[in-house]
Amino acid sequence: MNNIAFTVALPLLAAFLLPIISNSSKSAARFIGPFVLLAMLGFSLAYFNMLEHPVAIALGGFRPPLGITFHLDNLSLLMASIIPLIMLVLWPYANIEGYREESLLLLLAGSASGLALSGDLFNIYVFYELLSVASFGLAAANRTGAAFAATFRYLVMSGLGTVLALTGIGLIYTQTGTLNLAHIGLLASQLNNPAGLSAFALIVIGIGVKAEIFPVNGWVPEVYSTASPRISALLAGLISKLAVLVIVRLLVVAYQGPEALTLLLVLGMLGIIWGELSAWRSKDLKRMLSFSSIGQLGMVLVAFSIPGEAGMVAGIAMMLHHLVVKPGLFMLTEHWNGSLNKLAGAAKSSPLAAVLFMLFALSLIGVPPFPGFWAKLLLVTGLVEANTPLYLTALAVLLSATVIEAHYLMHTAIRMYSKGKKKQVKKLHQTPFTLTIISVFAVVLITALITMAPLGNKLQHIAAESSDRALYINTTFAARHTPVRKQISLIKQQSKVQ
Amino acid sequence: MRNVSALVFASGLAFLLLVITWQFVVGGAPMLIGEAILQQGADKIGSANLVTSVVLGYRGIDTLGEIAILFTASTATSLVLSSLSAKTSSSKKVVIRDDGTILASSASLFFPLLITLGMYIILHGHLTPGGGFQGGVILAAAFFLPLLAVPGRGVNHSGLALVEGFAGASFIIIGIIALFQGNAFLQPFFGHGEMGSLVSAGTLPLLYTAVGLKVGAELSGLLANLAEIGEIVPESTDLQASSMQTESNGS
Repeated sequence: MNNIAFTVALPLLAAFLLPIISNSSKSAARFIGPFVLLAMLGFSLAYFNMLEHPVAIALGGFRPPLGITFHLDNLSLLMASIIPLIMLVLWPYANIEGYREESLLLLLAGSASGLALSGDLFNIYVFYELLSVASFGLAAANRTGAAFAATFRYLVMSGLGTVLALTGIGLIYTQTGTLNLAHIGLLASQLNNPAGLSAFALIVIGIGVKAEIFPVNGWVPEVYSTASPRISALLAGLISKLAVLVIVRLLVVAYQGPEALTLLLVLGMLGIIWGELSAWRSKDLKRMLSFSSIGQLGMVLVAFSIPGEAGMVAGIAMMLHHLVVKPGLFMLTEHWNGSLNKLAGAAKSSPLAAVLFMLFALSLIGVPPFPGFWAKLLLVTGLVEANTPLYLTALAVLLSATVIEAHYLMHTAIRMYSKGKKKQVKKLHQTPFTLTIISVFAVVLITALITMAPLGNKLQHIAAESSDRALYINTTFAARHTPVRKQISLIKQQSKVQ
Repeated sequence: MRNVSALVFASGLAFLLLVITWQFVVGGAPMLIGEAILQQGADKIGSANLVTSVVLGYRGIDTLGEIAILFTASTATSLVLSSLSAKTSSSKKVVIRDDGTILASSASLFFPLLITLGMYIILHGHLTPGGGFQGGVILAAAFFLPLLAVPGRGVNHSGLALVEGFAGASFIIIGIIALFQGNAFLQPFFGHGEMGSLVSAGTLPLLYTAVGLKVGAELSGLLANLAEIGEIVPESTDLQASSMQTESNGS
């Protein structure tokens, strides 16, 4: 189990050595990235299969509240396996320019797995920061003036976010005297005051820059429409979900009161409204998809704000669904960029791509029997069961957002199937390489559709496990090299002293 | 829309900060982890400088993350700068007049002193305040000073990349060796030694040496990159025009 540290160590090692290797042999350097990602996938899948119950790994061999732990449960290992998978699909195989982008991608992969696995608040912050810096480089990798301008705005906003998140973490540290998530969970009662709650709010807003949460998502449309499609796909699909995961962990472990949930619910609703309305108004496919991504992340947030297991299962389902659909849609913009009006005739130029667009769009709207429908169904039933005025308002917002979503996505689809000028239609041809990448996402979606019943069971299981606060805490304090009982009694003493 | 959300955001933040200042108790913060480390840190790691035992021992993986952040930033910067230099390098050539004898020779004089100081601070990181990050910055200054004194002096970029890569890699490899010994990743080994002597605290001095060399090589490489691009102004009109375009799209 200790070897899971390789999923962080290997990509960082490869990224450090890549400049040297690239100097001596360019062709060897190009194999290293995919090879490391495969190794990461191997490690995380092996542990995913082996895992019977959650385990915590003490890095550096120090007992949990003192040292840093990696928390291995189904949710974190699932994310840790998805990271190399999606990066393998979106890897720039055709890039021959240099090693720098690949190096940044490897750093992104390493920090992403660290973020998924870590069970220590400050360690999460470090990996989040690493993730941010790597994503700045990747967003600017296009090297156009517009990309630089958009990245600069992203950088400023992200910098503000990290400062806020760090303030929040500092506040939690002053209130509880610890940084380990499980230990914070034990001392959660000390956070149930205005300072503790504002710490949560600060972290949500800070981390929310990556999670595209409502007031801090101004960078999203600009970066996604200027960066190369594979980077947009990566940021919208994967990175935003990892940021959400951090918020969810904190929510489960330390903030189970209604205030924190209400904050998420309200921010989520505002995100849905703003995102979907802006998507409806936008006249450019990339911008439309970016705004739709803001809306979808709002739905994820609303889902996680439902108390208990129902919210967890809906949230994870929405998250995974968006993780598959949005990268596929963004990859379509590789050749279908620019104004929506120019898309006329696209279906004739590359029929398969248009069919794939329809598939993704229908699933995103939530048309049965596609997986998106089941995810939204979970969300709707969760909201109905929660049954307070605010949750019912969220339900109304969600349903009207779905109508808006259906309108703009179908409107785009109709435009694709309409007749276009010959000269323009030629430009809309998708290359076989891009189509293969998009098809991978479509195949995953269809496989999910076919295996819906076992998948649903597995999701229930994951949700039950990851919404169990006591389990998280016990797991950490039962980490290797630790006499369990002694540890817990020690912690209890410590918390009593407080 | 952007103005409204900015206003909402700013007022929310102001409210939060007010709540925090109103609530905040100065000096009464609990120190669960801090006190526990104070009690057992010295025995467990054997480093005379307790800060180092936290930085490289208890929170070693955080430090790995930190050096990775620096590396990422320099990689991203050189990615951006390389496009600027490729665009404009042919258009302008800077003529350097060599008339600064005093400046140049005092820079050369300072070079060995700065290197010694930097290495001293790095190697004594587990004994006295200081360490890899601080010493690394001094090393970078040593390499950057000649460049400031005599602009246009070439920098051996491939040599810097070599040091940088191997230093970063050895940090991780020390961690992995611990893993292969059956311990946890980045667990200190080699025994404690006598506290306060130069060879003590297990692998911690090695880790700090790796950090110091990496930070030094990285910062000097970054500064050299900036110095080489310094005289060249990017096509500012192009940048401005495109940023204005995104602005109009955004509103």
